Amino acid sequence: MKSLRVFLLVMCAAPLAFGADHEFREIVHTIEGAYGVHHSHIPFLGAVMFVARPEGVSGMKIAFFEDFKMPADAADVCRMVESSLGPGWYPFIRVRSRADGETTLIYTSPSGGKMRMMIVSLEPSEATVVELNLSDRAIKRWLKEPGEEAEEQSGHHRHHDDD
Amino acid sequence: MKRIVTWLVLLLASSAAARAQDIKIPLDVEKLSAKAKETVEVTMDGPMLRWASKFLSADDPEDQEAAKLVANLKGIYVRHFEFDEEGAYTAAEVEALRSQIRGPGWSRVVGVRSQDEENVDVFFKLENDKMAGIVIIAAEPKELTFVNIVGPIDLDQLADLGGQFGVPKLNPKSLPKPQTKAQPGEHK
Repeated sequence: MKSLRVFLLVMCAAPLAFGADHEFREIVHTIEGAYGVHHSHIPFLGAVMFVARPEGVSGMKIAFFEDFKMPADAADVCRMVESSLGPGWYPFIRVRSRADGETTLIYTSPSGGKMRMMIVSLEPSEATVVELNLSDRAIKRWLKEPGEEAEEQSGHHRHHDDD
Repeated sequence: MKRIVTWLVLLLASSAAARAQDIKIPLDVEKLSAKAKETVEVTMDGPMLRWASKFLSADDPEDQEAAKLVANLKGIYVRHFEFDEEGAYTAAEVEALRSQIRGPGWSRVVGVRSQDEENVDVFFKLENDKMAGIVIIAAEPKELTFVNIVGPIDLDQLADLGGQFGVPKLNPKSLPKPQTKAQPGEHK
C-alpha cells in the first residue's frame, strides 16, 4: 500500500517537474538547432550559485552558449523564444544595448503567489538562457522598478562572464 | 460588384482605424531605438496586470492603492531610451510623437515637471467623460521616456503610480486637475 502511495505521488509530481523544466529545455534546444551551437557545462555552477546567487532567486537553471553568432535581427530570436514558451508566459522587459550589441529578453510566468522568469541574454558571440523563481520581495522589486532590475540582471551576467 | 468592392474597402479602412486607436507604442517611438545607446521596453498587460494586482494587495497596505489601480488597467507600456550625447534626438522627433496623440478625445497637459526636473508632457484620453488612458513623454537631454497607460486612471492616481511599473515619478503638485470634457485634439 505504501509503495502504491509513493508511486501515485511520483506520478502526480512528475508532470509538474517536467512542466517546470520544459520551456527552458525547449528554448535551449531551439537555439541549438537554429544556430548550430551547443550549450556549455559550467563547472562548479552549483557552488557559484550558492555564493553569488542574486537575492530572492531560487531554482535557477542556466545554459551558456559559446560561439553563438547573434543574428542581424534579434527579433528572430525573440519569435523563437516566444514560440518555445507557449501560453502562460508573457513578454515583460526587453533591454537593447547598441554599444555592447547586447539584447536581453525577459519573460514571466505568474501563477498564484509565484513568478517564474525566463531571461535570454544575447551578445555578439555568446548567449545565455536563465530560468529562475522569484521570492515575494524579488517580485515586488521587479514590479516596482522593472527597468532597473533588468539592467542590474544584465550587469550581473556580464560580471560573471568577465570572471 | 462595385458596391462590394466599396464595402470591402470601407471594412478594411474601419478595421485599420480601429487598430490605429489600439496602438500601444507609436511607430516613431520604435524608430528612436536605432539611435539610442540603450533601450528598455517594459510591457505589462492583461493577465500580468491582474496577477500583479492580486499579488500586491496580498499583504503590504502601502501597495494596496497601486494594486487597486492596476486591477482596472488594460496595459502599461514603457519605452526608455538613453542616448550617447545631447541632441541625439531632435525636437521634431518628439513633436512627431506628440502629433500621434492628437486624436479625438485626447488632451494635453503642458508644463508638468517630474521630481527629477525632466520636461514632461502628459496627455490624457477621455471616453464618455471618463479617463481612459494617459500617455507620458518625459524628455531629458540624453534620455527619453514614453509611457502609455491604457485604461481608467486619473491624474491623482498617476502620481501614486509614479516610480512603479517603469512609470516616471511625477511631482503631484505640478499635475493639474483635468477638465471633465475633452476638447478633441486641443491643447490647453
